[in-house]
Amino acid sequence: MSERTPTLVLDRASVAYGDVPVLEELHGVVHEGEAVALIGPNGAGKSTLIKALLGLVPVVRGRIEVLGRPPAQARRDVAYVPQADTLDPDFPVSVEQVVMMGRYRRIGWLRRPSAADRAETAEALERVGLAHRARERFGTLSGGQRQRVLLARAIAAKPRMLLLDEPFNGVDAVSQHALLEAIGSLKEQGASVVVSTHDLAIAHLACDEVCLLNRHQFGFGPTGDVLTPERLRATYGGHALELRGDRVIVTQT
Amino acid sequence: MMFFEPFQLPFMARALVELVILGALAGTVGVLVLLRRLAFVSDTLTHTVFPGVVIGHLMGGDGGIFWGALAAGVLTAVLLTLLTHRRRVSEDAALAMLLTTLFAVGVVVVSRQTGFTSDLTAFLFGRVLTVNEEQLAQTAVVTVVVVALLAVLRRPLLLRAFDPEGARAAGVRVGLLDLVLNVAVALVVVAAVKAVGTILVIALLIVPAAAARSLSDRLAVIVPLACLVGAAGGWLGLVVSYEASVEHGVRLASGATVVLVLVALYGLAHAAGAVRRKVGLSRARRRSVLEAA
Ligand SMILES: Nc1ncnc2c1ncn2[C@@H]1O[C@H](COP(=O)(O)OP(=O)(O)O)[C@@H](O)[C@H]1O
Ligand SMILES: [Mg+2]
Repeated sequence: MSERTPTLVLDRASVAYGDVPVLEELHGVVHEGEAVALIGPNGAGKSTLIKALLGLVPVVRGRIEVLGRPPAQARRDVAYVPQADTLDPDFPVSVEQVVMMGRYRRIGWLRRPSAADRAETAEALERVGLAHRARERFGTLSGGQRQRVLLARAIAAKPRMLLLDEPFNGVDAVSQHALLEAIGSLKEQGASVVVSTHDLAIAHLACDEVCLLNRHQFGFGPTGDVLTPERLRATYGGHALELRGDRVIVTQT
Repeated sequence: MMFFEPFQLPFMARALVELVILGALAGTVGVLVLLRRLAFVSDTLTHTVFPGVVIGHLMGGDGGIFWGALAAGVLTAVLLTLLTHRRRVSEDAALAMLLTTLFAVGVVVVSRQTGFTSDLTAFLFGRVLTVNEEQLAQTAVVTVVVVALLAVLRRPLLLRAFDPEGARAAGVRVGLLDLVLNVAVALVVVAAVKAVGTILVIALLIVPAAAARSLSDRLAVIVPLACLVGAAGGWLGLVVSYEASVEHGVRLASGATVVLVLVALYGLAHAAGAVRRKVGLSRARRRSVLEAA
């Protein structure tokens, strides 16, 4: 295997809101073209870690490096995909307007979107399979489709790292498939992906690495090595698990 | 023609220009107030500008009103931005207390003047027929500044309103942007003091934008439409109050008449919007039936 560039370095990092530490002693590395799943129960700190990778929550001890830089200085090459159901469905924007937001940094304040901006927007929508919905209002789409539009917005920004916060929650099978396909093709182009999820099957399917979180790190490494019943029980607090053969099911999150 | 004739009188012409500019300005800013759900913040600003108006009048007469309002408006815009950024708006109670206190200060100060009821009505509800050239110029300058600011910042403003976390992640300085919008709202209130007073301006901000929103889902249509509804409300309101006073001997306060006309326009827009949605729905249903067949 050739030398791969590390894109995300967690070096005994602790993250805190003010004085309250939320995550402690995170340690691990992600490389170019790899995807890492953040897995842990509600309140574990998954969203907090994603915000720390954007430089929106401070690292109080240790070090986090994104694309070789402190997180706040890497934002230009990082795209964030929020959970679709946190956004107001009545907001008067069209699907293509939302995707164009991914181009805003390149467009700037005064210039009109160029032909290149329009082409990137159209292509990003194509990649999530929603080109035919471009003119419709964002809020009229289903939850899964809105999530795909938000992924298209991130794709249009041409990021080297993609951060997705629980993109598969309440998403139908068609949209889940479209999301996984698009994420896969971004990885092939060398982007790194960080995705928080409750869904262990998706972690197996889409991610090379897993980071088990619940305020502390309960494991970081290749998916097959880390997703063991013992470690999951430790992360979720034992009682939340049902074991069926070698399948692990989180019954309560 | 009753729609144009009254404006041959110079004071009516000035009132018309003032209200049309103001309606267009408030309509534009109102769209952002609507998108950001800032009605409460705007209402707070209308209350806190009042003591500024009173103190400005006390210190500098009629010419001091604008500057007193400006100082109070910008100051409270800054305070409000800081307050809402500290924590989520669980400060409702603190905010309500602050604004009623400031309002009471204004009333106490004004009540110490002779002829205070007349002043009070003018500050609260405006006196558009006495607008002079200097005040017109102030309104025009405020309009140019605010519209230019919002035009330049339209993309970050849109992103921030739609997806605040996404905006932060994209490097938008959200705190600064919120300050700009709060100051813009404060400037609208300040510009409107003379024409419609501090109380009624909230209707100018909210109603045209809400009317435009019920007619369209597209911002490129909503913004000019809100602008148009605001301006039309100013013009029609003035016509109605003039007709009522001069032709029928019923004295209608022009500021309040403008507000009532705006609300009527909103009613029409809302009804038209309901019809539009119904037509759109049945068309979509027909399309899905066709696709299924
Ligand atoms: N803005 C904030 N200020 C202080 N504490 C917060 C803030 N946001 C989240 N927290 C706390 O951080 C912890 C982790 O939250 P979060 O990262 O949202 O977890 P997850 O995304 O895994 O459900 C929770 O205990 C939550 O209460
Ligand atoms: Mg979360």
